Amino acid sequence: MELGFKNVSKNYGEIFAVDDITYSMETGVYGLLGVNGAGKTTLMKMLCTVTRPTAGQITWNGEDIFRLGESYRDLLGYLPQDFGYYPSLSVSDYMMYIASIKGIRPGLAKKRMKELLEMVGLSKYQNRKMKALSGGMARRVGIAQAMLNNPKILVLDEPTAGLDPSERIRFRNLISGLAEERLVLLSTHIVSDVEFIAEQILLMKDGKFYYTGTSEGLIASMEEDVWLLTVPRQKVNQYLQKYPVGNVKHVPDGAELRILSKTPPAKNAVRADTTLEDAFLLYFGQKAGDENVEV
Amino acid sequence: MLKYELKKFFAKTANRVILTALILIAVVYSLLAAESMSYTDTDGSHLSGIGKMTAGRRLAADKNRQKGELTAEKISGAVKSYQELKQQCQGELPDTEFGKTVQSYWDILNFTANVYTVEPAFLPDVITQLTEEDTEHIYDIYAANMDKMAEEYAETPAQEAFIKKQYEKVNIPLDYEAYDSWETMGMYIQTYVIILAVAIGFMAAGIFDEEFRNHAEQVFFAAKYGRSKAARNKIAAGIITASIVYWAGIGLMSFISFGIIGASGFHTPYQLSDPYSIYVMTQGQYYLLIVLCGYIASLLSASVTMLVTAKMRTAKVAVCLPFFMFCVMLFIARSLSEVTRIVYYTTDVLTNVIQAVKVPILFQAGDVVIPQLPLVMALYFAVSVILLPFIYRSYSRYGLAKSGK
Ligand SMILES: Nc1ncnc2c1ncn2[C@@H]1O[C@H](COP(=O)(O)OP(=O)(O)OP(=O)(O)O)[C@@H](O)[C@H]1O
Ligand SMILES: [Mg+2]
Repeated sequence: MELGFKNVSKNYGEIFAVDDITYSMETGVYGLLGVNGAGKTTLMKMLCTVTRPTAGQITWNGEDIFRLGESYRDLLGYLPQDFGYYPSLSVSDYMMYIASIKGIRPGLAKKRMKELLEMVGLSKYQNRKMKALSGGMARRVGIAQAMLNNPKILVLDEPTAGLDPSERIRFRNLISGLAEERLVLLSTHIVSDVEFIAEQILLMKDGKFYYTGTSEGLIASMEEDVWLLTVPRQKVNQYLQKYPVGNVKHVPDGAELRILSKTPPAKNAVRADTTLEDAFLLYFGQKAGDENVEV
Repeated sequence: MLKYELKKFFAKTANRVILTALILIAVVYSLLAAESMSYTDTDGSHLSGIGKMTAGRRLAADKNRQKGELTAEKISGAVKSYQELKQQCQGELPDTEFGKTVQSYWDILNFTANVYTVEPAFLPDVITQLTEEDTEHIYDIYAANMDKMAEEYAETPAQEAFIKKQYEKVNIPLDYEAYDSWETMGMYIQTYVIILAVAIGFMAAGIFDEEFRNHAEQVFFAAKYGRSKAARNKIAAGIITASIVYWAGIGLMSFISFGIIGASGFHTPYQLSDPYSIYVMTQGQYYLLIVLCGYIASLLSASVTMLVTAKMRTAKVAVCLPFFMFCVMLFIARSLSEVTRIVYYTTDVLTNVIQAVKVPILFQAGDVVIPQLPLVMALYFAVSVILLPFIYRSYSRYGLAKSGK
């Protein structure tokens, strides 16, 4: 089982959405982290044969995935970022339709559908029209449809966007349970989504992999340390300009800042454990995630 | 897979609205058709209100007094009766007389006048001027005029021979049975056929743009059969739903209308309405011809809109095409008919059969002569089929071009 990228590029005119990526993946969970426009979605679309690279080649066990066609897609489960569905179909009809185009026999499809809707907590809503689902519920159907064919390669583009905190946890547990005999690639802005479940972190920026490796490795590679420092409110801005600052927590005597710095930013600063989120902040120069959910 | 493709089609709100509208139109048209029949009672009164619904059947019953072989004697009798009545009442025929006698042989007078004058003329004028000599030899006149028409219509000897051969198929004397139901329904179904073809094109386009419109294309094309079987099934769904919708619509409207006005005259020769038409058929076959051409129009409509939608990834342009092919084209063809013969074979012919059967347009290649309608039917049926692989190609290769989209 090996998914290989050989000098893969995709450009839209002048813009290189994906820029000469060479990489190889095996089983396990890969967390693809990057800011908006980094090229995550473009990479995943190519991986799912929805769009073709402008240069380079993606291979599955050494064979070009576009040449493999059906036999490759048979192994594929994909939740797009822009997940759309047929609004007039009921949840169960939608699932059965997707199962049919995935080539799953109706009998097996019914069974899988039941299991998966159970898994994403939507059994009750089987007969509801897709258009009557909430955004988060639709996303859960999206995760379920990706799993219908028990894919060897599961590609999830921001699967947790729009999920509530408890669903988010459920989803994370689900993914770690699934990862054993398959390759899971999931993209997110939310570091906590992948921090504990992804064996490999792929930091993506401007179409390139900026860092690939374990989350521990990434943290270890940082020269900066994390410091907690409580400062009076009027001094917060001063620190924000001088250092990359993570969380700003309001405390009774001012604000507690999470500062990244090679040296202690102040005498009373206290060392804290570096997290993946801190690394994200450092590499991308901005706070991770647009929905900084702490779970 | 096909099952869910069809389920998707019939679950779609827009389609449901259109289907409901099509049913309503069929019902309303049927009632209008029934309402349009006019029957004069023996006391000269006309039917009104709900009673008008019985006009078709009562008219047929009255006219069917003349049912059977339309001999020259029968024609002479009718003409003589009419001439006498005209003379008695000096001018306008009273409704009582019309209801009592004239109505029953009106079609016969009509046929006689048409045979005699060839070009349409005002019936009373023609009939009152006919001599006994004329009416006794009406079928001889018919035969002589047929030869003349064949000469006049034809541009080559082959065409003349072809037309003569067609005319030989007319069984003389003609067999009469009241055929108003078929004639009236021909007109109403022709309009409904156009509506169906346009609606079917609209709905077929929807099959190929729903992934794009709903942003469901990524899941679709990443699925195992998204670029093969599933795409083929979409085409199948388009053809199947076009067929279901078309025949259900035609069936419904035919069932209601003929149910009300009766179906007398299926076997009546079409030549009774148009003696010199080169299409020798019965009134029932005439109706079926309209309907069959309409079916080909619907298939074409579905094929074309599916292809354009698959190519453009949106149905916006495609949904306008059926309207263009079957409505706008009619006017373009009409205005260009002096300029080019190509307009004899445009798509609007399929949905304007009631006009086409009246005009002797022949296509000739070598010695082979084919009348306009069969040619147009074969041509557009072939086009509908030939387009299918292109739909498949356009759709299933989404996103695979190396440059950009
Ligand atoms: N169809 C397209 N046409 C033109 N440019 C595109 C297209 N799709 C993506 N891009 C560009 O490619 C770059 C990468 O986009 P992509 O969607 O892959 O980023 P992303 O990492 O998924 O971002 P986000 O976190 O916002 O989802 C962006 O600059 C984007 O503007
Ligand atoms: Mg994205």
